[in-house]
Amino acid sequence: MKKNQIDRVWRWQITASAAVALLIACLLGVGFGPVNLNFGSIIKTLLGLPNGLENEDRTLLLELRLPRVVLGALVGAALATSGAVYQSVFRNPLADPYLLGAASGAGLGATIAITNGGGDLHALLPIFAFLGGVLAVAATFLVAGRLFADPSTLLLAGIAVGSFATAFQTYLQQRNSAALRPVYSWILGELTVANWDVVKWAGFYILIALFVLIRISKVLDALMLSDEEAYSLGVSPQKIRLIAVAAATLATATAVSASGLIGFVGIVVPHLVRGLTKRATNRSLLSIAFVGAAFLVIADLGARTLLSPAELPIGVITAFVGAPFFLFVLRARNRGSQ
Amino acid sequence: MINIENLSVRFDNAEVLQSINLDIPEGTWSCLVGPNGAGKTTLLRTMLGMQPYSGSIKYNGREIAKNKSLNIAFVPQRPSIPAAMSVAEYVMLGRAKLDGWGKESAHSRNIVHEMLEATQLLGMQSQSVNTLSGGEMQRVLIARALVQEPEVMLLDEPTSALDLHHQIAVLNKVEEIKATGVTIISTMHDITLGAMYAERIIIMQSGRVLLDGESQSVIHSPELRSAFDDRISVHLLENGRPVIIAAKRAAGLDQGVI
Repeated sequence: MKKNQIDRVWRWQITASAAVALLIACLLGVGFGPVNLNFGSIIKTLLGLPNGLENEDRTLLLELRLPRVVLGALVGAALATSGAVYQSVFRNPLADPYLLGAASGAGLGATIAITNGGGDLHALLPIFAFLGGVLAVAATFLVAGRLFADPSTLLLAGIAVGSFATAFQTYLQQRNSAALRPVYSWILGELTVANWDVVKWAGFYILIALFVLIRISKVLDALMLSDEEAYSLGVSPQKIRLIAVAAATLATATAVSASGLIGFVGIVVPHLVRGLTKRATNRSLLSIAFVGAAFLVIADLGARTLLSPAELPIGVITAFVGAPFFLFVLRARNRGSQ
Repeated sequence: MINIENLSVRFDNAEVLQSINLDIPEGTWSCLVGPNGAGKTTLLRTMLGMQPYSGSIKYNGREIAKNKSLNIAFVPQRPSIPAAMSVAEYVMLGRAKLDGWGKESAHSRNIVHEMLEATQLLGMQSQSVNTLSGGEMQRVLIARALVQEPEVMLLDEPTSALDLHHQIAVLNKVEEIKATGVTIISTMHDITLGAMYAERIIIMQSGRVLLDGESQSVIHSPELRSAFDDRISVHLLENGRPVIIAAKRAAGLDQGVI
């Protein structure tokens, strides 16, 4: 730091480190499992070089592990990024897509699609899940009374709306016993049945949402100011808020419809990145996306290997790691402010 | 020069600002005084272009709502900064209008350094805002507005959360800013303090301007007490400086020397 200058708020090296962490996580994710694959051979196979994997190992990598790791990365990036965006938009460090009812709403939307549709629903699922998510978030704010209700009112409203959506979802499942299996398999997490088709549609919506969020990430910092300050800096906060909530809800809804309910990623990862970098800026959004992706890939690796050959639901792993971590963060924050 | 002509603002069916007319010369400090709900903050928000209005607000002849290049800074009454944000991060956001969001040129980092120094915040730039005292926080809000290099600075109750020592420190700082040519418009509850610093006092009540003029003449104006429904009393200190306090009618206080 020069003597008469303040230090940079954000450095590209942080984002680059997060990208490297994601690459390492992906390599571990495709390499380890009931059958371990050689890292050198994996890289050669992926780059199309000679002496790569062959036969069953090649199929295992390209048709089973790789789509699963890519889907895990997409879902992790979506949940972490939308969590960070919700926290900025609502100026609430506890805001999380699940707490505001978006995930339960998306779950209900997905259940309606499964119980009322026939044939291949994968293409329709995200649209139903998205509408469910948006309506649930809208209902949460309607119940809370206003956009900047105090955090406890907002969270309580989110819990109420989420519970209602979950109850309605359970009712639909019970009425359509034929749909019970697909709905339950969806709730427990479809990372187990990830294939390139799922990766394609989920990737399409999640990448659009992430592209929008990363594009507006710098201006999102205006939402950390009062509305008057944001206006004085030439930004209309309402417009940014609307775009941010819509994109974060699309990302969450798609993630939920692709992988079921995976908790804590949206709170733990943004807090981890912001805590380690000691920065609140949304310029960290791309790093948060990378770390969220890496976090879920590693969590899925744990889900696949800890009780091998049986599998743990991935949500169990994220909660096991996430809940104590979250308590640790809260404690550290309280100490810091004393 | 800011010219406000026949300005009216409506919320739903209520007219919260009614036919406001004001001429505010460049490089002066005008202080809006009045009870809660008088329309002071609404007037500031309208000047920022946040509120649809009828009538006109012109800065050097150009309508404010259409003049996107006009640099008006706003210092809020209460901060809404995320607790984890550092002082430098928050102050740096003030450069966004000049540099673009997310940019941090060497020049901007110089300016932020300079303004942190000017507001006695140097050395605290890495601290998160939730560790600051009320006085430090107010200086951070002002530093954020200062790095914007504004032509006009609007301050909403800049001293309301501060003890007397910090009130004086903050108002002295604003006076220094005014001396650099920035036009200052502030709202304040404390008319005595307002009159000590601003050369002009504008008394508002129920969305209207009741009194407007040079601070000392407004304070000594017989209409001042009626503007506050006779609930204030004006006292003169030995040096002739007026002190305005809430009147307790039963005590029979009146204008005099204390």
